[in-house]
Amino acid sequence: MIDKPLSRRSFLPASLALGGLGLQLAGNAHAADAPAAVPAGLTTAPVSQSDLSPRLTMHAIDIFHGTPGASMKVDLSMFDNGAYKPLKSIETAPNGRSAEPLLLEGTYKAGRYEVLLHIDDYFARFDTPLPKPTFLSTVPLRFVVRNPQERIHLAILFTPWSYSYYRGS
Amino acid sequence: MAGISTHVLDSATGRPAAGVRIDFSTFDGTAWKLVKTITTNKDGRTDAPVLAPADAKVGQYELLFHVGDYFQRPGANLSEAPFLDTVPVRFSIFDAKQHYHVPMLCSGWSCSTYRGA
Repeated sequence: MIDKPLSRRSFLPASLALGGLGLQLAGNAHAADAPAAVPAGLTTAPVSQSDLSPRLTMHAIDIFHGTPGASMKVDLSMFDNGAYKPLKSIETAPNGRSAEPLLLEGTYKAGRYEVLLHIDDYFARFDTPLPKPTFLSTVPLRFVVRNPQERIHLAILFTPWSYSYYRGS
Repeated sequence: MAGISTHVLDSATGRPAAGVRIDFSTFDGTAWKLVKTITTNKDGRTDAPVLAPADAKVGQYELLFHVGDYFQRPGANLSEAPFLDTVPVRFSIFDAKQHYHVPMLCSGWSCSTYRGA
């Protein structure tokens, strides 16, 4: 529970105010311990993936800060024999994508998949005022690859209070 | 009023999604436990609260929306098999005195959820 009521609309200005404080402290000996005020913004335009071979790719955007969802832990699982079995864990690159496709060629198969986003750890790095426990913590995104001859791009938009995902391109 | 409620919208048609199965579970510290299975009414809501105010406690909750079945129901006329099948939404009640409205906006290829009001 948060100590004093903060409306969700007040979180962004509060975050910016704290961010300003963080910048003032930057020259201070304790600066290394202070969380990053805001994540780094995008510096390059996205590139079309339309001619790429069949694969599973992902892209996470932090629409709370308006930045790529960089350095977020992501676990990929595939449904097998009654449960989602872990395939791999990655950390998103500075552009919010996985550095390599999540699945490619021999590993890209039809099936039911789950991408688990560690949104709680992601926002814990910033000055975002949030209740404890946070509304969202680890977020499972489930989807189905029907045809492994077709490329699937999983597009993800998230904040501490919401998310959406869709079959992107 | 505290507790949990939901609302399922079919964003492909812009209509409430009626007849969507939702499995409601709580996390007991080690595993998810199914509390009840509900079906949305013609307004895309549930007739009774998902979680009544008296039962609201700080903890982890899950709504599992069976959107794949909904989009493949007889007469749904989807162009191809959907990208989404069952969609879990996991969230915390961090203050049992507050209400948690957790909508699901979905099509066969996209979904969105948020702490609503």
